[in-house]
Order: sequence, then structure tokens, then C-alpha cells
Amino acid sequence: MLEIRELACAYGKIEALRNVSLSAKAGEVTCLLGPNGAGKTTLMMTLAGILQPTHGSITFEGESLLGLSPAQIVDRGLALVPENRLVFPALSVRENLMAGAYRRKDRAAIASDIEHQLERFPRLRERIDQLAGTLSGGEQQMLALARALMSRPRLLLMDEPSVGLAPKVVAEIFGIVRQLHAEGTSIFLVEQNVHMALKVAQHFFLLQQGRVTFSGTPTELAEDDVIQRAYLAGAERKPEATEA
Amino acid sequence: MDFLQRTLDGLLEAGPYALVGLGLTLGFGLLHRVNLAYGASAMLGAYAGSWLHVRLDWPVWAVLPCVVLATALAGLYVQWLCFPDTDRATGSVQRASSVVSGADSREVVALASSFAVWMQLEQLCVNLLPRHLNPFPDIASTHEWSLGPLGLRPDRLVMCIAAAGLVMWVARWIHTNRTGLALRAAADHPLAAHLSGLRVPQLQRWGFVLASGLSGVAACAVLALEGQVTPMFGMWMLMKGLAAAMIGGLGNLRGLLWSAALLGVAEAHAQALFGPLGRDAATWGLLLLALLLRSARKTSWAPAGGLHA
Repeated sequence: MLEIRELACAYGKIEALRNVSLSAKAGEVTCLLGPNGAGKTTLMMTLAGILQPTHGSITFEGESLLGLSPAQIVDRGLALVPENRLVFPALSVRENLMAGAYRRKDRAAIASDIEHQLERFPRLRERIDQLAGTLSGGEQQMLALARALMSRPRLLLMDEPSVGLAPKVVAEIFGIVRQLHAEGTSIFLVEQNVHMALKVAQHFFLLQQGRVTFSGTPTELAEDDVIQRAYLAGAERKPEATEA
Repeated sequence: MDFLQRTLDGLLEAGPYALVGLGLTLGFGLLHRVNLAYGASAMLGAYAGSWLHVRLDWPVWAVLPCVVLATALAGLYVQWLCFPDTDRATGSVQRASSVVSGADSREVVALASSFAVWMQLEQLCVNLLPRHLNPFPDIASTHEWSLGPLGLRPDRLVMCIAAAGLVMWVARWIHTNRTGLALRAAADHPLAAHLSGLRVPQLQRWGFVLASGLSGVAACAVLALEGQVTPMFGMWMLMKGLAAAMIGGLGNLRGLLWSAALLGVAEAHAQALFGPLGRDAATWGLLLLALLLRSARKTSWAPAGGLHA
């Protein structure tokens, strides 16, 4: 579904991604792991068309995404739920959802999709006319996810949906990821919470210092010594700053 | 009775002030930038109108739309030169990376550039029509209605009602229309707007042209009552517009109506008490007071981002 080949991206002279090659299959949850500064967000921003690569190719369902604007990429069926949510703080929850469907023209279907998202996220219904900036971190994450789904993406890109959230909210978010997967949505997930990712993903990649250093199934991931030490063992001991 | 008459006259002045503040309020609300060439763009439109009226003898109904069009085009020129797209218009990684990091050091450059373009446009106007006083199509009425002991100019009343109506219509349009939602979203969080599929550069450009076009409407309304335009008009538009917009909360359309009324009434009374200098002193005194109150409350301009009704 998504094929990335020898992708390189730089901020001026600083290389953020070097020869990154990976893929995501239709109907699967593909997870990209990696420490801070590995280039995960750069990769997601490049997939969303915000950044332009210096080398390599990105194809989605056989069509190149290179040189396309973010709006054209949304039209092709990709939607990114960015790190730290990035909702529209001065717009209401309803307006955020409507902004997510801006590329669509089918008004009746948009209204129906808003209702569907409010069923999926009941807490958003309670806050439908509230400004998004006044929501809690967890509610903003739900809103960012619901807004991305409003464009009816064929591939949902999620950049660290668990960051800064309380464990209960993280469990709720991953429950929704499982639900979306069960409904047939393909998901490309960037995550540092390996324990949660193992419960939802069918394939893993590890990105370190701008390069892909591991590719495998959840079983292969769990058996990898380096990943065991760096992520699985450490994650249990490491306390996280959380926000409800 | 004089007090009541002055208050009424001041309230009728609110119309022009609300109109000249509208374009600035909209521009700031949508782009978060103060455009110093705002008055000069409207002045160029007004001079173009005066030129068509004087040299080609065009009637008022043909001149006024040309003033709005010329001002909107001047606004497009200012936007292209001083406020280029604040995000990935060219697709280069360097420009795009500033969006991701949120870093934007171009605000000061944009402000300084708009000052330079202000000078440039004013000079262009003076070259176009070198005389100090230039006729503008006049639709003012000398008729005055009597309300008991009070006098009321119907043309000023119509202007005031039309200005309030236009501000309220813009506020409603921005909050109920699909394009209005997109403009507010792009102003509120450009990166989130990109990710939602909004064409942010086009929206910003469109918003800027809309704000400029509205300043052209303001220029038409003010000058059609005055019947003439001078090289001081651009400065007047900018200063009165800034005062009205800032006292109202810069980016706040309802606040703009209140501040225009306050400004008009304060100026009318100050002029009666202290002469023409008192009028200007009232403007700057109110502006200072608004700044001090804002500073004491530690509130920023456009508190939650975006444009407010």
C-alpha cells in the first residue's frame, strides 16, 4: 500500500533521514519505533507533504507522492494525526471536525460522519461546542484522531498518540486503534510505547539516527536482544510524565 | 443640549471608523500581522478613483467599484511583497522546517517591508496626481433632519448603519461560511490546517485581498462624504484604523464596533473642549488607555488566536 524507498530528508545541512526504506500493507497496523531524534516525526511530515525529501521515493497505492502538496496528499487518502495533537485551539470541537472534512463536498455524508465520530468518541459529544484549546490532552488526542478520520483516509498516519497522556487515556486511544483496524482501516503508527504497540501492530520497523535498523513481526521484535534492553525492559521501569 | 448634539455627531463618526478598522482587524485576525501599508493601499485606490473621475470624467457608480478593485490589487501586491506565504509555498525544506518548528523570524521583516511599501505607494499616488487636493465623486447630502433640538445628517446616518451592518455581516460570514471556517482554521494553526488538507497559502492570500477590498469600501465611504482626497489620506486611514482596531481588541469584530463608537464620541467632545488638537489627543489617549489596561490584565492580542465575532 505504502512503499518508501531510499528516502532522505534534511533540515539545511543536517540530515534527518538517510536511505530509509520501509512499507506498510493494506489492512495492517504497521508500527515505527525509535528513540527521540531518530527522525520519526520528520518521516511523518514528509509523508504528509509538509517536508520535501532530498532523495528517494514514496508511492501510495502505486502513485508517487513526491512533489504533492499536503492538500493533494489528503485527497489521495492519507491523513496524519500529528504528535502533540495540533488541534485548532480557537475553533469549537464541531468546527475542528468540519475542518477535517474540508476537502469533501458531500454535505450529508459529512454530517453523518460527524455523528459517527461523536458515537466513537462520546466525550467529544459532551464538548461539541467547546473550544478545542480548552479540552484535556486526552480529549484533544481524540479530537485530532476524529478530525483525521473525517477525511475518510485509506491510510491513517499516527505520530506518537500516547505521548504525554495518562495510562488510562493511552489504553482508551489504543482501544480505538484496535477498533479502527478491525473496521479495515490501514494504520501507520509511530510509537515509543512498545508494550501498547505490540498489542495492535502486525509489523514493526525500528528507526535509529535516521536509518531503519530493524524490520520484523511482533514475535521477532520481542526476541531481539537490543530492542528488549532498549525498549521492553526499560519501558516498564521508566516513569512517564502524564496528562489526563 | 450641545452635549447631546456632540454625542450624536460622535456616534455618527463611528461608521467611518468601524469601516477603516475592519480591514485591519480582518488582516490581523487572519494573518497575525500588522500591515503598515494598509492606508497607502486604500489611498492608491482612492487616487485611481480620483484620476478616473477628473481625467476621464467617469461617473460615481463606475468610479467606486474601481476604487475597491484597485485597493484589492494594491493589497495583493503588498501581500506578495511583504507577507509571502508563511509556510511551504515553494516546497523547500528550509521554509517548511520553520513551519514544523514554529519558528518565524519573518514578522519583523514583514512589518518593516510594509512600511517601505507604504512609502512607495504614497509616492506613486503623488506622482499620479501631484495636486494636494484632488476631487473625489461626492454623494454627500447637505440636507439635515431635525430631531427636536438636535440636527442629524441623513448621509452620515446611512453610512453609520451601513458600516455596522457590514461589520456584522463579515463577522457572521466568517463564522457560518465554509470558506470563513477555512480562513479561521488557517489563521489559528497553519500546520494543522495543512494536515487537514486546507490550501493555506491560497487562503492567506484570499484573506489579505478580502481585507484590502474592505479597506477600499471604507475609502469610498469616507471620501464620498468628503468629496476630495489628499496625500494625508493614507496616514489618516492607517492611524484611525489602527486606533479603532487596537482599542477594540485587534482581531475582535464586535469590539471594533464599540471602539469606533467610543472613539467618535470622545473625539467629538474633545474637539469641542480643546479644539482640533484635542481631537487627536483623545484618539491617542484612548489608545494608550487600552494598551495600559491590556498590559495590566496581561492579555495578548487575539487571545485565543484567530478572528472573533
